[in-house]
Amino acid sequence: MFNISNRFQYAANQALSSAIIISTFVIIASIAQLVVNNAWSLDTTSISNIKTQTSLKKSFNYGSLNRKPKENSRIQFDLVTDLRPLFNWNTKQVFVYLTAEYPGKKDGSSNKVTYWDKIIQSKDDAVLDLSRMKSKYSVWDVEESFREREAVLRLEWNIQPWIGPLLFGSTTANSTFTFAKIKEAKTP
Amino acid sequence: MKIRQQLFQFLNLAFVLSSAFMAWKSLAVITNSKSPIVVVLSGSMEPAFQRGDILFLWNRDKMTNVGDVVVYEIAGKSIPIVHRVLREHHNAQGKQLLLTKGDNNAVDDLGLYAKRMQYLDQKKDTIGTVKGYLPKVGYVTILLTENVYFRFGLLGLMGLSSLFSKE
Repeated sequence: MFNISNRFQYAANQALSSAIIISTFVIIASIAQLVVNNAWSLDTTSISNIKTQTSLKKSFNYGSLNRKPKENSRIQFDLVTDLRPLFNWNTKQVFVYLTAEYPGKKDGSSNKVTYWDKIIQSKDDAVLDLSRMKSKYSVWDVEESFREREAVLRLEWNIQPWIGPLLFGSTTANSTFTFAKIKEAKTP
Repeated sequence: MKIRQQLFQFLNLAFVLSSAFMAWKSLAVITNSKSPIVVVLSGSMEPAFQRGDILFLWNRDKMTNVGDVVVYEIAGKSIPIVHRVLREHHNAQGKQLLLTKGDNNAVDDLGLYAKRMQYLDQKKDTIGTVKGYLPKVGYVTILLTENVYFRFGLLGLMGLSSLFSKE
């Protein structure tokens, strides 16, 4: 009755069910802790002093096809935030990203782009105070031009856990800017 | 009597295999994804995902958000890629274009797409969005596919145990 394969099966079953119970507990407890810390309504963020700049690029890597000049946008911003409430014992990393959302040409169409992001791996690095930070990415649109539309900037976050579901949220801060006009080449 | 026992064992094995297959396929139907559980094969999303981590996918979202991690497959290239959405553009009809980037890569994925392809089509190209994460467990499959000694060792062990086991 109790041969090696039986014993092995019994041990494996026991290990599997214990692992499932422990991880369920970890997931529920860590999410409860985030709720207690008001993770989904962080109001310690401010995005300010936004400057924008638009230029023309001709490379495929900047959204151009057939070397047709393509509008690329960059911004500069000040950012203050405290993301410490997002860290607990089931947080492997926090991915923060600064997004800009702006309408498209037709009703119901919309665009959202990332200007800047950062991976934060420890609670000690979770307080950010950046001034005159330059955008990490050069952004182009699906359309030809940004047409001086207005965009809303938001700081959003994604918690990567050690185990369990990926969690997403946004800080309450938002800030608007208008895409800059292209600098006209000076006529000689 | 002996042959009856062997047939029974064979039936048992077939039952195990078919129920595993059914479970996998019903998971695929529930999540609407052709491969609802994937193992990370590259380090392009480190430190979030390492090689061998298991990801659970869901493919019933109408729209994908910026910041979501999606798994996509370009027609003609067989390897699925797990990367984060950097930009999204959608219209009222629900057509959505995505640009992706790996957290650990310096540049976006334009170089990984097909020639002259500038965006992913959310409906056509993505297999699913990553919803859940289990560390390390999938490393067994990497060992099985990449390590010859492990594969044949495991096969040999299974063969030996079936030879010596008596129910």
